[in-house]
Amino acid sequence: MTEDKNGKIIIHADIDLEDLIPGFLKNRRKDIMEIESLLAADDYETIQRLGHSMKGAGGGYGFDEITDIGMHIERAAKENNAAEIRIQMGRLSSYLDCVEVVYD
Amino acid sequence: MGILIVDDSADARLLIEFFLKKAGYGDIVLAKSAYKAIEYLDTDGAEEIDLILMDIMMPDMDGIEACRRIRKNTRLQDIPVIMVTAKAEEIDLKSAFDAGAADYVTKPIKKIEFLTRIRSVLKLKHETDKRKARECELLELTQKLDRANQRLEYLSYMDELTDIANRRYFKEHFDQEWKRAVRHSRHLSLIMIDIDLFKNYNDTYGHKEGDACLRTVATALKHTLKRSGDFVARYGGEEFIAVLPDTDITGATVMADLMRSGVSSLEIEHDGNPAVGKVTISLGVASTVPGSDKITSETLVIEADRAMYMAKEGGRNRVEVQRQKANA
Repeated sequence: MTEDKNGKIIIHADIDLEDLIPGFLKNRRKDIMEIESLLAADDYETIQRLGHSMKGAGGGYGFDEITDIGMHIERAAKENNAAEIRIQMGRLSSYLDCVEVVYD
Repeated sequence: MGILIVDDSADARLLIEFFLKKAGYGDIVLAKSAYKAIEYLDTDGAEEIDLILMDIMMPDMDGIEACRRIRKNTRLQDIPVIMVTAKAEEIDLKSAFDAGAADYVTKPIKKIEFLTRIRSVLKLKHETDKRKARECELLELTQKLDRANQRLEYLSYMDELTDIANRRYFKEHFDQEWKRAVRHSRHLSLIMIDIDLFKNYNDTYGHKEGDACLRTVATALKHTLKRSGDFVARYGGEEFIAVLPDTDITGATVMADLMRSGVSSLEIEHDGNPAVGKVTISLGVASTVPGSDKITSETLVIEADRAMYMAKEGGRNRVEVQRQKANA
């Protein structure tokens, strides 16, 4: 469930996922940095795979937004569309800044 | 039940492991590539794993190829593979099922659907394993039964006391040899053997000794016969009969004489046989080419018996040959 409250996006997650979610979100920050390097190297194939993984994992952890971002990144990478990729990374970065997880 | 998760993304592996553990599946193995997964399966994995959850999109070997290889491997064939993937096009589904996947779950994972699919695939595997175990059991039992039957047949042909063939064996196999001799126009000979004054032996030394004597004589007779087609059987209490296929009267007489001297040289003390003081036998030989005249198999036995009787009358410890010769 997503709620806008003081600009924060609240996500409710299973209490047992408490151990996994922080690591997952941290890995997504790492993804942003890695995609930056990959763009510099023109490695769209790896970007595509990262987007694909993001698409697959996001929703499972409770972050449908991340699944959507992953899908866009994957598609953009297939078309070698660096601009679109950057837009999505911006979207991801903002999301990670705003998201707050509530465990229940 | 052991579950193997194959996915190059650590986040995916952890999440799936989390769902499984929460649902109560304890034995989880993680592999970060298809190569590592197959390597593991080729060693301990084959016995430990009951289900493989395979991602499709992986660098190096993808999940479809991995699935194909696993299904081809005879050791791993029975382990079901469920594709767990963000690839959801029709073509992907088709490739997966063509490669032998048991089921297909799309990412992001919806917990309930995921667990339901896993449960049903594992249930099927469990049932299959039980069936295979029963089949193995049945096969084992069938083999045991075959062995028992063979043994039973063997025992039904053996004379327990002397450990040579019994009369039943003689009847069946003499009949077979007779028919074969008819077909090929070959000679067939019989030797009827009787231990001289055996009743006296029992009276003098007791039945236990009598049994031992029978055993010794039977063994000696058996060892006289060298050819694979020849056999000797216990025909009555102290009577034996030998069948010699492809043997004419001359050859049979030679064998009979060897038997006679063989038993005589055993030097088994027999005070009930004062003439010689030891155990001796009387033998009657009969021979024919079956089918060449009116002699039947029963007649040949009677001829041999008659000849043996002549041997007894003639003083015992000797060989007599049938008077009427057919096709000498």
